[in-house]
Amino acid sequence: VDGARGGVDRVFAALGDAGRRSLVEAVAARGTATATELAAELPVTRQAVAKQLSALADAGLLRATRAGRETRYEVTPEPLEDAVEWMVSVGAAWDERLAALRRSLGDYGKSRDTLQPRRRSRT
Amino acid sequence: MNVEREIVVPEAPDEVWEALTEPERLEEWFATEVELDARPGGEGVFRWGDGDERRAVVREAEEAERLVLDWDDGGSVVLELEPVVGGTRVHVVESSPEYAPALELHALSLEASEARPPTPAGKTAPPQAALAWTALAAA
Repeated sequence: VDGARGGVDRVFAALGDAGRRSLVEAVAARGTATATELAAELPVTRQAVAKQLSALADAGLLRATRAGRETRYEVTPEPLEDAVEWMVSVGAAWDERLAALRRSLGDYGKSRDTLQPRRRSRT
Repeated sequence: MNVEREIVVPEAPDEVWEALTEPERLEEWFATEVELDARPGGEGVFRWGDGDERRAVVREAEEAERLVLDWDDGGSVVLELEPVVGGTRVHVVESSPEYAPALELHALSLEASEARPPTPAGKTAPPQAALAWTALAAA
C-alpha cells in the first residue's frame, strides 16, 4: 500500500500545477504529441513545454520515445493502476473490518446477555 | 475516488453506534489502539499492530445515524447506520481526493485511444487498464 501511495503522491504532485495538468490532458487528447506540436497550440514556448513534458515523464505520467530529433510523449496507464491498487486494498481492509465488526457486535451481545437480564433494544 | 461497502447486522442502530464510537469497542474491529472523542471537532488517533497510525478529526457525529471522519491525509470516511428489518444497515464510504485527477486523465486517454484508429507503431492503453477503468466506472 505504501508503494502505491508513494506513486500516487508523485502523480498528484506532478498534476498539482494547472499548466502541467492541461499539458497532460492535451497529450491524452491527441494520443501522442511532441513539444513542438503542443507549443503550436498553447500560449507557451516550445522550451517551456519540453521542460514540463520531461518533468511529467519523470513522474511516470508520460512515456517518452525518441522520434528523430524530437521526443514523442504519450500518457501511461500505470498511475491509474496505482489508484486501482489503492481501491482494492482499501476495499479489502473494509471487508475485513466489517466482518470483525459483525463478530464483535455478536460477541458483545452474548457477553452482555449472560451478565445482565436479556435486553432487546428493538421492541 | 471512493470505496464503498455495506453490511446488515442483526443489532439495533444504537448498539452499532457504540461499536463505532467507543474507543474500547473500536479496538475490537477497527484498529489495535484507539483514542476517539466522537463529537464534532473531536480528535481521533488509530494505531495498528504493524506500526501504522492515522489521525482524524470528527466532522459529523449524529448519534446512531452518521459518523464522518476526516483523515489528516485529506481522505475521509463516512459511516451511516440505517434501521432495516432484522437489524441495521452499515454503509461505509472511504474516499481519497488524490485519485480523482489520475482517474479523469486516464478516462481521457482511453477516450483518445478509442477515437484513434490503431496505428502500426502506435501503442494504446493495454486491455488490462481498460478493464480496470470499466470496473471503476461500474462501481
